[in-house]
Amino acid sequence: MPIEIPVDKWPGTVNTVTLGATAADGGTRSKVVTIGGERSLPFMHFENETPHPPVIALEMTAARPGDWSQVLLDAWGDVVDDPARWAGACEEAGADLILLMFGLNDADGNPVTPDFAVGTVKAVLQATGLPLVVLGPGQAEVDNEILVPVADATKGERLVLGLCEDANYRTIVASAMANGHLVLGRTPMDVNLAKQLNILMTDMGLPLDRIVMDPTTGALGYGIEYGYSVMERLRLAALQGDAMTQLPMLVNPGYEAWRTKESKVGEGVPDTWGDWAARGTHWETLTAVSLIEAGADVVVLRHPDSVTRVREAIDELMTLETA
Amino acid sequence: MALSGIQIYKMLPQTNCKECGFPTCLAFAMKLAAKQVELDDCPYVTEESKQQLAESAAPPIRLITLKARDHEVAVGNEVVLFRHEKKFFNRPGVLIRVVDTAEEAAITEKVAAASAYSVDYVGLDLRLDGFVIEAASGDPAAFATAVGAVRASSGLPVVLKSDDPAVIEAGLKVLEGEKPLLLGANSGNWEAMADLAKQGETALGVMGGTLEELAELTEKIQATGVEDMVLYPTASAMGASLAMQTQIRRLALKNFRPLGYPTIAFAGDGGNPARESTLAAHAICKYAGFVVVDTFAPELIYPILVLRENIYTDPQKPIQVLPAVYEINDPKPGDPVLVTTNFSITYFSVANEVEGSGLSAWLLVTDAEGMSVLTAWAAGKFDAESIAKAVKEFGIADKLEKHVIVLPGHTAVLSGELEEELPDWEVKVGPREAVDLPGYMKTVLT
Amino acid sequence: MAEYEVRFASHPEPIGVPAGTLLVDVAREGGIEIQQPCGGQGRCGRCAVRVESGAVRRRSVLRLSKSDVAEGYALACQTVVEGDATIEVPPPEAIERRLVTDHIAPEAALPEGYDPSRAQTIRRVEIRLAPPTMDDQTDDWGRLCTALRQAAGIETLDTTLEQIRSLGAILRESDWHVAVTVDLGTNGAPRLIGVQPVSEAATAPLCGLAIDIGTTTVTVWMVDLLTGRVMRQASQYNQQIARGEDIISRIIFASKGDGGTVLRDLVLETINEMIRAMGERLDIGRDHIVKATISGNSTMMHLLLGIAPESIRLEPFITPINHLPRLPAGEVGIDMNPAGVVDPLPGVASYVGADITAGVFASGLRDSAETVLFIDVGTNGEIVFGSSDWMVTCACSAGPAFEGAGVVHGMRANRGAIEEVWIDGGTYEPTYRVIGNVAPRGICGSGLIALVAEMFLTGIVDKGGHINQTLATPRVRRGLHGAEYVIAWAAESDTGEDIVITRVDIDNLLRAKAAIYAGFNVLADRVGVPLETAEHVLIGGSFGKYINVEKAVDIGLLPDMSWDRFEFLGNTSVKGAYLALIDQAARNEIAAIASAMTYIELSADNSFYEAFTSALFLPHTDLSRFPSVAAAMT
Repeated sequence: MPIEIPVDKWPGTVNTVTLGATAADGGTRSKVVTIGGERSLPFMHFENETPHPPVIALEMTAARPGDWSQVLLDAWGDVVDDPARWAGACEEAGADLILLMFGLNDADGNPVTPDFAVGTVKAVLQATGLPLVVLGPGQAEVDNEILVPVADATKGERLVLGLCEDANYRTIVASAMANGHLVLGRTPMDVNLAKQLNILMTDMGLPLDRIVMDPTTGALGYGIEYGYSVMERLRLAALQGDAMTQLPMLVNPGYEAWRTKESKVGEGVPDTWGDWAARGTHWETLTAVSLIEAGADVVVLRHPDSVTRVREAIDELMTLETA
Repeated sequence: MALSGIQIYKMLPQTNCKECGFPTCLAFAMKLAAKQVELDDCPYVTEESKQQLAESAAPPIRLITLKARDHEVAVGNEVVLFRHEKKFFNRPGVLIRVVDTAEEAAITEKVAAASAYSVDYVGLDLRLDGFVIEAASGDPAAFATAVGAVRASSGLPVVLKSDDPAVIEAGLKVLEGEKPLLLGANSGNWEAMADLAKQGETALGVMGGTLEELAELTEKIQATGVEDMVLYPTASAMGASLAMQTQIRRLALKNFRPLGYPTIAFAGDGGNPARESTLAAHAICKYAGFVVVDTFAPELIYPILVLRENIYTDPQKPIQVLPAVYEINDPKPGDPVLVTTNFSITYFSVANEVEGSGLSAWLLVTDAEGMSVLTAWAAGKFDAESIAKAVKEFGIADKLEKHVIVLPGHTAVLSGELEEELPDWEVKVGPREAVDLPGYMKTVLT
Repeated sequence: MAEYEVRFASHPEPIGVPAGTLLVDVAREGGIEIQQPCGGQGRCGRCAVRVESGAVRRRSVLRLSKSDVAEGYALACQTVVEGDATIEVPPPEAIERRLVTDHIAPEAALPEGYDPSRAQTIRRVEIRLAPPTMDDQTDDWGRLCTALRQAAGIETLDTTLEQIRSLGAILRESDWHVAVTVDLGTNGAPRLIGVQPVSEAATAPLCGLAIDIGTTTVTVWMVDLLTGRVMRQASQYNQQIARGEDIISRIIFASKGDGGTVLRDLVLETINEMIRAMGERLDIGRDHIVKATISGNSTMMHLLLGIAPESIRLEPFITPINHLPRLPAGEVGIDMNPAGVVDPLPGVASYVGADITAGVFASGLRDSAETVLFIDVGTNGEIVFGSSDWMVTCACSAGPAFEGAGVVHGMRANRGAIEEVWIDGGTYEPTYRVIGNVAPRGICGSGLIALVAEMFLTGIVDKGGHINQTLATPRVRRGLHGAEYVIAWAAESDTGEDIVITRVDIDNLLRAKAAIYAGFNVLADRVGVPLETAEHVLIGGSFGKYINVEKAVDIGLLPDMSWDRFEFLGNTSVKGAYLALIDQAARNEIAAIASAMTYIELSADNSFYEAFTSALFLPHTDLSRFPSVAAAMT
């Protein structure tokens, strides 16, 4: 019985965005990462090829993280005290890129300064050839204070700077535009809010191929379904031709999954939750794979084992061959 | 093509008689358009309209129910490709696979543990739905023994898996009065398998590596009188299975009957939980009716059951965060408690303002059914009683030295009652808008 | 380059300029002042001049109608000289009247062919009774009824004990020659309102009231029932505001202790103060006011009548009563003849009340074969979509911003309110128009809409409504609620304070407009009839007498349609109440409308919230819905 397989023909394409720049393009990266370019829903290879598979970022912090699960600290060991070594370890663990997160304080517990930020970013850039996402602590004043000098000091690297949010995007966008960087915009799990921020940022003259959007997700058990559907809807809108949704999506299942009680807490929890360390990694993996099915272009993870598993899943999803 | 409310309205009597239980004919017509009422509720509709309105009633994906002593599991009846379009209705059955070549004691132990497994998730009791018993031995007697072992230690429904009808028959005999799934029929054995399914009035699993193969089989089997089927696309790698599952769902929703059945997906990988976790997530998100895992381990099963619950919730409900106490910027016992509702945008706007200011606070999020502060307050779902209940439920008082609780400014009117409900607390009224919170916290609270 | 001569009617000498000179520059050359509130961007239309003769080229005719252009009008900031020309600069008032997007609500007029003696339910019948005799032992009441039947065909008559007590004396004092005032009722059951000596009645006025009780504003019209004409109109803030700005606060207040009584007294006081003031002015005593029709949202109606409204706010949102009977005025507490009749108009649902059924009637939607969109914008925005065939309705909570409340310098559309604003896109300096041409005291709903539209088009706020603090103007600064923009400096305001709009005000207005626009969308989606198919958009509500449609479209409050499809009707609720007061056919039609409307509850699913967030942007997240705004932005 011949069956005519329904094929979606979409008018829209997700923007192709390149993170990081090699020496030839004015940066120092040994490897760049290109994401986006989809013309179909995730992995519908029978419709169109997927030009760039989803990529994996590992998250690291500029100063030893105070609130990470012990499972993670055990997995990483003492590199968490040294951003340069940690960055190297991320690369070894198989990450495609690195997300460097600044908190409010430096390693000594003093408020972060522009010098500290610039120094840390430079150290990480030296230690790894991977592209870099740099995020401030999420307070408008501090973000602007440290991200602007970081952007200036790394001109041409095509870093991804963030977070741009509805209430604080102008300074970061302007500074990214001036220095050849990209920005990350984050909105709280809502299709319209995501579009609105993209409109505001492009209204400033920032080209669409220099924006990555983080539509925010919840962890498994903590609202993943909302993030999942918002991402599906954004991707459908993008394919339908809505330019302000045609941005590659970055989400942070690592952060979300590892702040749940299930991953963070090992004692005083029900037996039915099973082994702590294994549970934490499963929590992160399930969250990440689900979001990849929903259209994530970059997933940010925290546990090195998750990188291996999610990589395997991506590789498998990228092929139509039977294993 | 579905008719709009106005189109249906034009076929109704337009007398607004209210006998259908709705105030106007148009209200009734809109409910009809949303398929929430039956046309028969209108006592005065003409025969002509009835015919015009009678759309194919059969659901595009057949509802299949497996039954056993203690439990039944129903899958299928789905109507959309994406959960946001309406919702996913019937949670996939999560099953554990056992193989008949294993030691009987090992089977018994695994099945008993899995069958008894129950985990609490936000007040829901999550459990597994049954077992796949796979005939690796090829021996009817060995298979019957394994089925007996499963049945002796669990009352959950089962899937009998073998391509040998004689083996299946042996297993089926053990399951008197039950409705297992027989897996399965292929191009070589389908006639015998169909006979077994007919005799036992059970659902039949149909295996195939391509859509054509599956569709041809289901048509032939259906012609023998078997109506309940489950598709088993045998592509196992994620990319191939995603393509097949998606194509089956798309075709079914276009009313292509030969593929209008739920599917079964094997996420088990010989007991490698690392890979099972990714395969199971994939199968739950993308259309499997049954998801089969080899490993029974709580740390793996718990997240799988939670994911299933999450993906199958009703997306038409407003986006909510879990009612809880959220710690913002590492609060200390001397920091204030701010109250808001569990509507996600409300939560985010409050949390972001405070987080962005660098000030610390305990954010108490109450269960207001996902409504914003004003809406919830208007509908009586955010009042002194519910706030006090949340304060007690989350035991926030124990974490504090200073008992200061701050109400959203729009609900200042609740302060008196809240003082009565929480006599040991100092109740303050915060600003109306989240943007004014940092200023308020700096000037009023310190 | 060619030089041409341009003559201005008000200027003695012709002015010589090169070809291609803008008319505003020509005028400046001659020392003639032409207003350019928008900074010469061709947006406001205030620089319109008339080209009496000569050759000019109009780069843009935005805001001018075809007939304006045919009559020679041109925008001085957009028109260049291409030959000798003679130009007339009209006075500013003349221009404002011409602008096609400025809609002024029409005054209330009597319906065509109105005959008070037929349409009215109130009758004053002069009758001469045969005095009783020893032979004719009929009682006084029976005698009156018989005479009334003979004179006016009234078969039965209801009365009160009070009236019976005084009847004997009046009949005898007036020597059996009396004027009887009767309310016929809409469906029979006539009721006696009063009996008075004919001599007294000959000069006595006979008045009625049309009352609209809004959450924020209460309006009373005093009407001469003998002619049907409106004698006087009054509006005041509802005194209940002191007990809560919105409906929900009022309902909650009413449910606590004697809150219901307190609110009832407050609204009665609001109404009665206006009645007394109008009565004094017109020299009309309370006994001469014999009938009142009441319109208002369901909560206001319940509070006025002292009916507990608690169930309105709680799921499943049920009103105690939608179709109220006529009530004796004495029971209601309105300061009028206590034997008079109060007629509360019928509502549809908890959040679609008599104000909407009356408004729909007044708007004429019910007579339209084409699809019409009707909106009543007040503290709540109620929307009706439909035609003579079908009507759907919903309510969305807009908040009081459009009524000038809940905004730092907001006020009602009264004397001293800024009602129109233009901003120069180069300097960010505003020009504004104040009701009554006095120093400004605040800004009313239409002024706020215009202000935000101008701030948006000039880039003072971005599409998200955030004020751009990097602009080089002292008018943008940081205040108590974050960034703010100064419209009027203390020196020019009547209050001696700067008049500003804050970020919080803008957020409020954005939410208000988003709620209304989202309501349109959900209604249209629910019935599957596209919004654009609406042939007319009828706007009632509390904007005052004026709205600038273009600016309401700019901010995304109204759908982007050809401006001539919009019609601004003013307070349709009180108009409907007025028509019901003077015409029983109108009253019956309002009841029919109430039964025919299908109410849609927006909280039933997520679709309203979706539509709301996408409308929470200037003008809308989906700019393709607003092509004219997109064009204005480039």
